[in-house]
Amino acid sequence: MSEVVSNPPGRVAEIWRPIRKILREPLGALGLFLVLLVIFGAVFADFLTSYDPTRINPRARFQGPGAEHLLGTDQLGRDLFARVLHGGRIALYVALVSTAVSLAIGIVLGLIAGYGPRWLDNLMILLFDAMKSFPTVMLALALVTLMGPSLTAVMVVVILVTVPGYARIIRTQTIALKSSEYVTAAQSMGASSARILRVHILPNVIGPLVILASMDIPVVIGIEAGMSFLGLGVRPPTPSWGSILNDGFTGIRDSAWIAIAGGVPIIITTLGFTFLGETLRDVFDPRLKGR
Amino acid sequence: MSSIFSKDISRRSVLAGAGAFGAASLAFPNMAVSADGSVLTIRSYSDLQLLDPAFWLSLPEADIMRSIFAPLVSNQSGDEWAWRPVAVDSIEQLDDLTIAFKLRDKIGFTDGYGQMTADDVKFSIERIADPANESPYAGDWSALKEVEVKDTLSGLIHLKNKFVPLWTTTLPTPASCIVSRKAVGELGGKIGTEPVAQSGPYLLTEWVPKQKTVLTRNPDWAYEQGGYEEIHILPIEDPATAELGFEAGDLDYTWTSVSSLPRLKENPPAGSVVVEKPSLAYVWLGMNKDNETLKDVRIRRAIQHAIDREIVVDAAYFGAASVGNGIIAPGLPGSRDSVTYDYDPDKARALLEEAGATNLTVTLDILNQSERLTAAQVIQANLADVGINCEIKQNDSGTFWTLGSKDGDYFMDLQLVLSRFSMNPDPSWATVWFTPEQVGVWNWERFNDADYKALHEEGLVESDPAKRDEIYRKMQDLMDESGCYVFLTHEVVGLIHKDTVDPGLKPNGEPLLPLFKPA
Repeated sequence: MSEVVSNPPGRVAEIWRPIRKILREPLGALGLFLVLLVIFGAVFADFLTSYDPTRINPRARFQGPGAEHLLGTDQLGRDLFARVLHGGRIALYVALVSTAVSLAIGIVLGLIAGYGPRWLDNLMILLFDAMKSFPTVMLALALVTLMGPSLTAVMVVVILVTVPGYARIIRTQTIALKSSEYVTAAQSMGASSARILRVHILPNVIGPLVILASMDIPVVIGIEAGMSFLGLGVRPPTPSWGSILNDGFTGIRDSAWIAIAGGVPIIITTLGFTFLGETLRDVFDPRLKGR
Repeated sequence: MSSIFSKDISRRSVLAGAGAFGAASLAFPNMAVSADGSVLTIRSYSDLQLLDPAFWLSLPEADIMRSIFAPLVSNQSGDEWAWRPVAVDSIEQLDDLTIAFKLRDKIGFTDGYGQMTADDVKFSIERIADPANESPYAGDWSALKEVEVKDTLSGLIHLKNKFVPLWTTTLPTPASCIVSRKAVGELGGKIGTEPVAQSGPYLLTEWVPKQKTVLTRNPDWAYEQGGYEEIHILPIEDPATAELGFEAGDLDYTWTSVSSLPRLKENPPAGSVVVEKPSLAYVWLGMNKDNETLKDVRIRRAIQHAIDREIVVDAAYFGAASVGNGIIAPGLPGSRDSVTYDYDPDKARALLEEAGATNLTVTLDILNQSERLTAAQVIQANLADVGINCEIKQNDSGTFWTLGSKDGDYFMDLQLVLSRFSMNPDPSWATVWFTPEQVGVWNWERFNDADYKALHEEGLVESDPAKRDEIYRKMQDLMDESGCYVFLTHEVVGLIHKDTVDPGLKPNGEPLLPLFKPA
């Protein structure tokens, strides 16, 4: 009788497996679809519409949705479909870049706090808690007063708001792992602290953080939209979902399509990333499924 | 002996009571606020910063000051510009240079500062006029020689020269609000946001920054009573937000945005009255001539030619306001039919090229309001069309109104600014803010022209309407020539109030709080 030996899974199969798991979950599939939809709209904005999102045409103001302007026009006659698509670029840019920077900073600070001496840990915990205790809006107002309203200001706010959370998680995991046998073994073999952190600890703590970061993206998009709504975010005429909402808020009774055009993408993106993040969490940590 | 406290109070009865209260509140949403007309809730477009008649910053502060510091006279409610006595029993102009007044005898200051006297009048007026105090409103009393105290309640206001706007733009404004010499002295010479020695028909009894100011009827005020026991003033910067607040029943009266007027007039909310009044205010784009980027007059002139004023005004106000041609509204001496620059992008480009200005980037500061933002974005697009990159900076009211102040640290960095000034019914009250003395005070463009100043002084003593008309037109031409101004509009005033309120309003729609009463 011949023995059947299965081939080890290839790299493609390794990537495809979690995606299949996500697609098997209805909410996961919906989340992935919504996220891809937003990314597609943002990436191919220039091909999906011929309108310049900043080009004003007061004579065409307040036109309702129709064949000429899919989502209508705003108070300056700008095409809302173009503004929503380009606003998606801003939202995703802020979300992805600032989340990536936050992750990087959070990981470094968390590893140092968790692996370093006790006094440094205490000091950094104090710092994280102090940063976390600032109300987001107050922090945003203070920073905008110092820096002026801009995309950079929004990203700095996001980074300051999210770094303490990431750092704390990494720190906790690092403390748990640093007394594990394989870390002790590496230490006894003379491995440097940097090597232990990079090779032995980091790969074991980063997984949950990526899931957490994916679930934080809607929060970041909300911060960007909120700051732009208040006039503290991206400067006009750069389109942002928050500023579109603000434009719509003024005439919500007569031209509700503007507020809808600004609000629906925020809802879609928030739902998409939340569903996807939840499903990712279930896939990578089945113990939490359904919680 | 029975007592209401002896009855059993169960959790269920508390819940039932709370439920009944909630249901009643829903059924009669205004009952809790002003069921008997005792509380009037209105919106102001900015919060308090200074309640000092010599240093106030915004119109809502002026409204409050005229309610809590009795002025000699104040405006009358109605469609004609007229005044009414408040702190005086009598006041009359004896000749071009002398005004006699006699105070009412039952006006006292709160906080134990005693009766209002002619000496307090002397102090209040002379402190505004005294150049040493650097009051932005010194111009209101620029013709003052002195106030002579005749006895406890009587005195004479002596002028150095004839002063035409005295009865229109000086006496009925906070410039005639009387404060206590003793109290202000104890405060170090300046009143902040916590007034002492109040004397008007209302008292400021509560101020929660950014939330609420409460005026309460002054129990010691012996004359015409205010129509409401309390007036709650909510600072809401954005008129669109205020309109939503009104429709939700949270406000009894508010100014509306000009752009909302057509909609509100067509479909007024139930139980409300929409009013449109001619406005004296003026809105313009200012350019700081002392800023490094804008020093060259050719660049400023280029910006004047780059801006399509018709489109800016039409876009910002949705057709509800028309283009204005200066700082003096139609109907007043000096009102112009046109400006001396036209919309000509080619000319703008040529001027920029001549000035060697390439890749020019400027910042436009605006108040964080929807109309201003819309106007700013059209200006931004117009400037982009001639090759100028314009960055819009939105400011809250507290920041905005100090941008050009020489006491701050931004006045030289200020480049373009979209401003709106309110106005009183005399052209001099518009021109006074652009004199050399006002540089770094209200003159943020730092426009400094000796001829302009001379003409302003000439206008103050000239009573011939035709000559005044010529003087004020010439002054606005000088403003045009400086390149510092792009005049946009005089707007119109839109306001909305509940039909249960009879508002006290100046002819231009500005509120006179003590004259509001239940309808």
